[in-house]
This record gives sequence, structure tokens and C-alpha cells, in this order.
Amino acid sequence: MASVSGDDEFARLLGAVASGDQAALRALYDGAGPKLFGVILRIQRDRRAAEDVLQEVFLAVWQSAGGYRPEGGRALSWLCAIARNRAIDSVRRRDATQAPAPDEEDWLERLADPSDGERSFLDRDALSACLARLEPRQRDCVVLAYCEGYSREELAQRFGSPVNTVKTWLHRSLAALKDCLGAIA
Amino acid sequence: MSDPDDLAAAEYVLGTLSPEERASFVRRLAADPHARAEVRAWEARLTPLAEAVPAADPPSGVWDRIAAALAASPVPAPMPAPMPANDNRVAALSRQVRTWRLAAFASAIAAACLAITLGLDLARRPETGGARYVAVVTPAGEAPALIVSLDTATGSVQVRPVAATAPAGRALQLWFVGAEGGPKPMGVIGSEAERMSLPVGTARGGEGSFAVSVEPPGGSPTGLPTGPVIYSGKLIRE
Repeated sequence: MASVSGDDEFARLLGAVASGDQAALRALYDGAGPKLFGVILRIQRDRRAAEDVLQEVFLAVWQSAGGYRPEGGRALSWLCAIARNRAIDSVRRRDATQAPAPDEEDWLERLADPSDGERSFLDRDALSACLARLEPRQRDCVVLAYCEGYSREELAQRFGSPVNTVKTWLHRSLAALKDCLGAIA
Repeated sequence: MSDPDDLAAAEYVLGTLSPEERASFVRRLAADPHARAEVRAWEARLTPLAEAVPAADPPSGVWDRIAAALAASPVPAPMPAPMPANDNRVAALSRQVRTWRLAAFASAIAAACLAITLGLDLARRPETGGARYVAVVTPAGEAPALIVSLDTATGSVQVRPVAATAPAGRALQLWFVGAEGGPKPMGVIGSEAERMSLPVGTARGGEGSFAVSVEPPGGSPTGLPTGPVIYSGKLIRE
């Protein structure tokens, strides 16, 4: 999915989209749409709403593809960021709390699955190693927030801890992750 | 990492800022290149986790809706086409209806496809007996989604659907975004022209935009847009 050549192709397509090429947007949708829909659906579990988010994401890509700079990061990373942000905005603007995730994923195990291109594999390896060093509950907070869109309040509820404690855990985990990834890189 | 700015960027990427903190951070991002760089760095750090999420095939209807929205806005960030000054027909129309124009509105996701007119005297125009025709000048000659005209004297809004189409099983809802900010719900758009009123308490100074979002049948249950904004246009007075 996210092989190096795939990412170069996404970057090329983004360039074409920026110049108004609708066929390139369709090719990008065919190539990256399922991955982005998977990311959105993990956060916005209402399928109908998740479809709306995916539509929003591609209209946003159509409008702002010219803002993508290959030197600023990988194309899939840029696309995932738009998808996650829109999905999080979508769940936060609904007052109702979401139904719990249908199944608990072991995200660390998925992260360690080496079925990917070389460059992203190295990134994955580093993140995997650094996450593994965190205190388990603090790590779970980061991973559940990132992959499943948990808010501080939802994490507090899940771990039976005050919201402020969760906030402290998140800050500690993020600081430790940054240090660890910086040391590896 | 005790730098509170970097923590805000990290929590923004993680998605754990409170709605107020998130809104305030987004405003900061627009003006602060340093914060944008921190966000990009955090996105790069955590992206392998997003890539570990299994893919899911979206239903085919999603692309159809994207394509429909694109058909209404064929080029990214379209600019309004200038009116040819030497075209008498255009000049006559312009006099007759005072103002027809397309405009983008900054926060809109999709391109502007609403033609909005602000008419102080539109509703009280003396009848001339003949049928009146209008043309809405759009960047590539495509039909606008809606024509919306506002009579500031009465707060009456005339909404005429042209090319607006709702996705199957969904409704299109009109919103007014006035000078005080925040979308105010207007009605669900049907297939026929209809008259609506500006929400009570809305300033009628002629400042603001109309936007259209995709909603469940019957309109947004929350009083705020819940689906994507697919059309928008700003009120313009000649």
C-alpha cells in the first residue's frame, strides 16, 4: 500500500491534481481512498458520516493539492493528516459519544507487521521501538487517541482516571516519544 | 519536551485537544509558520500508525458525490470571471438585477457555486409586463447550484435551485453565516423556488454568506452543519 514507489506516485498525482487534473484525483482516490477510508472509519465509526468525511477529504485535496510540498514529507502522510483531522472534527462536533469499537486491535502488533516499503518500514520500526519503551497505559492512551480518535474524556473513562491525569500521561508519552525518535534518527 | 507550544502541536495531531483548544490552535496555525512546522514534524513521527490501520473499500457512491461536486467547480480555487464591459446584454442584465456574481468564501471546502444577490428593491420592483430573464455569469459557463437573493428590508430570502443536487437519501440545507459568525440554519432546499426568512435576530446589514451542507433527510438534527459544505457564496452588493 505505502511502498516507496506508491508514495512517489501519490506525490506525482498530487502535482497533477494541483493543476486541475480530475483524472489524477480519481487515480489518487483509487490508490489512496481505501487506506484513507480505513483511517477515517476507525475514528468516525458511523459509516454514513465516515463517507461524508471521505468526500470532504477529497474535495479538500482538490482545493489544496498545490499546498503539498514533497520536501515537507511523504504524500501519504499528508493525505492521512487531512483524513484524520477531518475525521476528528467530525466526531468532536457530534455531541453523542460513539459506540465502542467493535473489536480491539493490537495496534503495536499491526505496526510491527513488515509488509511495507523500505522507507516507511524504517519509520515504523523506530516508532514501534519507541512506543514499546513507554509505560503500557500511557502508550495505550497515545495509540487509542491517534488510531481510534479517543478524546481525553473517553480515555479517562476507559482507564478510570481523572482527565488531568490522562493529560499528564499524554504529555509524558509524547515528550518521551519525541526524545526517543530523535535519538534513533 | 516541556515546550507548551510543541505539546499543543503534538496534541493537535493526536486529536486530544478540547474543541476550544483545537479551534484556537487552528487559528494560530494560520498565522504561525513555526507551529505549522511542529505539526508537520508530529504528523511525520506518528504517520506509521495511521498506515498500520487496515484499508476499507469505500462504497461507489462516494466517488459519485465527489465527481458531482467537481462538476460544479471544474478548476481548483476558481476565480470569478470578469464581466465583459462591452457586452450590452450583460450590462442590461446587470442594471436589471443590480448584482449577480459568484464569489468564493474563505472557509468553504468546495468552490462557490451559489449566486447570491442582495436587492434592496428587488421585491418591490414595478412590474413591466414582460417576462424577466437573468443570466448568472460563472467561471466556465456552468450552471450555478442555487440563486439566492436577499431583501434586506424584510429579511426575506428567495431561494431558487438550479443545478443543486442532493446525494441519494440526503437533504441539502441552506445556512446563513452573518457578520456575527457561526452558521444559522435556514431551510432544507427542495426542487422548487421558495421563500425563506433570515433567522430571527440576524443582522440584516447585507453582510454575510450562504452555504449549503449535506444533511440527513429533514435537515441537521443539531442546529449546526453535520455534513460537508458543498456550496457557498458571499452576499455582494453592487
